[in-house]
Amino acid sequence: MVSIFYFLSFLAVISAFMVVIAKNPIHSVLYLIMTFFAIAGHYVLMNAQFLAVVNIIVYAGAIMVLFLFVIMLLNLNTDAEQNKSILIRLTGIVAGGILMITLIGAFKQVSIVKDTTFYASGQAYDIGLVKNLGNTLFKEFLVPFELSSILFLAAMVGAVMLGKKDIK
Amino acid sequence: MTTIVLLSLLGLITLITGLFTIKRYILPIVVSGLLVVFAIHTSSISIINENGPMFNNMMKFDQFSILFSGLILLLTVLIVFQTQKFEGETDIPLPELLTLFLFAITGALIMVSYTHLVMLFLGIETLSICLYVLAGSRRSELSSNEAAMKYFLMGAFASGFLLFGITLIYGATGSFHLAMISAQIQNPAIANSPMLIAGILMVLIALAFKVGAVPFHFWTPDVYEGSPTLVTSFMATVVKTAGFAAFFRLFFLAFSHTPPMWNQTLWVICALTMTLGNITAIYQNQVKRMMAYSGIAHTGYMLMAILALNQVAVSGILFYATAYALATIALFAVFITLQKNYKLDSIESFNGFAKKNPFAAFVVAASLCSLAGIPPLAGFFGKFYIFSLALKQQNFWLVIIAIINSCISVYYYFRIIVAMYMKKAMDEQTIEIDRMSYLVLIICMLASLVLGLFPDLILSLNA
Repeated sequence: MVSIFYFLSFLAVISAFMVVIAKNPIHSVLYLIMTFFAIAGHYVLMNAQFLAVVNIIVYAGAIMVLFLFVIMLLNLNTDAEQNKSILIRLTGIVAGGILMITLIGAFKQVSIVKDTTFYASGQAYDIGLVKNLGNTLFKEFLVPFELSSILFLAAMVGAVMLGKKDIK
Repeated sequence: MTTIVLLSLLGLITLITGLFTIKRYILPIVVSGLLVVFAIHTSSISIINENGPMFNNMMKFDQFSILFSGLILLLTVLIVFQTQKFEGETDIPLPELLTLFLFAITGALIMVSYTHLVMLFLGIETLSICLYVLAGSRRSELSSNEAAMKYFLMGAFASGFLLFGITLIYGATGSFHLAMISAQIQNPAIANSPMLIAGILMVLIALAFKVGAVPFHFWTPDVYEGSPTLVTSFMATVVKTAGFAAFFRLFFLAFSHTPPMWNQTLWVICALTMTLGNITAIYQNQVKRMMAYSGIAHTGYMLMAILALNQVAVSGILFYATAYALATIALFAVFITLQKNYKLDSIESFNGFAKKNPFAAFVVAASLCSLAGIPPLAGFFGKFYIFSLALKQQNFWLVIIAIINSCISVYYYFRIIVAMYMKKAMDEQTIEIDRMSYLVLIICMLASLVLGLFPDLILSLNA
């Protein structure tokens, strides 16, 4: 179990890193798909099979295909990145480095305590199943679930308005 | 909750009326709908004290949320009044435009009444997504596209920070509920856990971005300049108020017992925001950019109230946000007309305006005085209240910085007044302002004056 965890984490970090440094946008997208698969693997390890499947179908499947389409339609698959000045690069490195140090410092001191009563009750083993997810979604998280429909409607209206050919 | 449900229904109705050719009635429908929602909303004040947390602790409609929701609704009415003359300015038809405004304030109302971090995220996203579209609603203009794109990319990045921060806070305390987090933080082992502090700082970054505080302000001038002016006025007033309410609510309900780590960070952000905002505003020649930087400066003053973080500070933020919003809406209402006439963004479009339309010029001058903090207008009392709040917290240096900054701000606000009253106009024609805008100007003017003379009208609401 632990070795699988380390393998998946290694894969996720390396491919996420490659997403950023790859020169070719298509390679970036492919690395991103790899990252999503690695993360889906993590979900499976945590007994959240449903999330894992959704993650692959929605992110790795639908959204990434859309990405690839856009990149190919706009003909971005050449190295079109502008050279940035040294100052901007330096700022980015310093800011990102400080953020990384903060996060590493924060995570280093965290101790993970295994909740034994939780595991003994057996809840831990079916926590990520669709049934439990649905229960949580429609009981505890009912209000955010319903209100997110406003969010999606607004996004849809916006997308149609911005994308329509001639409005008036 | 009734308010939120009614508001989203109103949005849907507006969207559907767009199908029919009854365009003339859309604006009256929306305005009367908003007023009805406001009336129902205020009638719920009397029963509010019995209202516990609702829906598994997702939201709580306490006094704080009722007050800020009311303010947001009223300010939106003032903005919506002006949409008629504004219609030609965007490529989005009126019904959809109004729908987006209504959905945006639905998000804003969620932001002022949440007690669960997921609701905070949902509210911010609903508000932001509507704004991204509204910012880009002048599709044919490159600057509008740029504004939408910049706002979207940076806003998405900030949302990422917010989510990561929420995750870390959840990791440290084991809960999304503000009350539970606050209870957990009483335990010093959790309060000092680096994960919690990192989480709070990341949430702080995201919220500072949303209210446009230095050093997360870089989007503000470009987005304010590129967006259609009415949307700019919406962003500067309603959105800023909602952002501050959400900011305050989070720190007041959840983090008031944490070690003073974030306090020092906020202190520095606050001082920087005031100073950089005011000094940069001096160098601007375009009205919208200047107002963007002045908005940043006002963000700095309002952050002082968040530093105080007590029940009195609620009144401070509420009053300040009202005063600032009234003045800003009045200024932009006139500026929209000027922009239509001259197709200019610079301060020169105000040249000789006092001769062309003495009443509107007077209202603009009064609004600018209110923004600068000159008695007897509301802006003065807002500043006075917040500064005295900071003094009670022994924040002497911050108050000194703030007072110096207020003096600086007088310079650039008076540039417009000087342009209006002392400079020669570019042409002789008079500028007519439509009736709806007159109404808005009169309301803003009277409200600024009355609130400046009788501040208790608002302060007593938060008893």
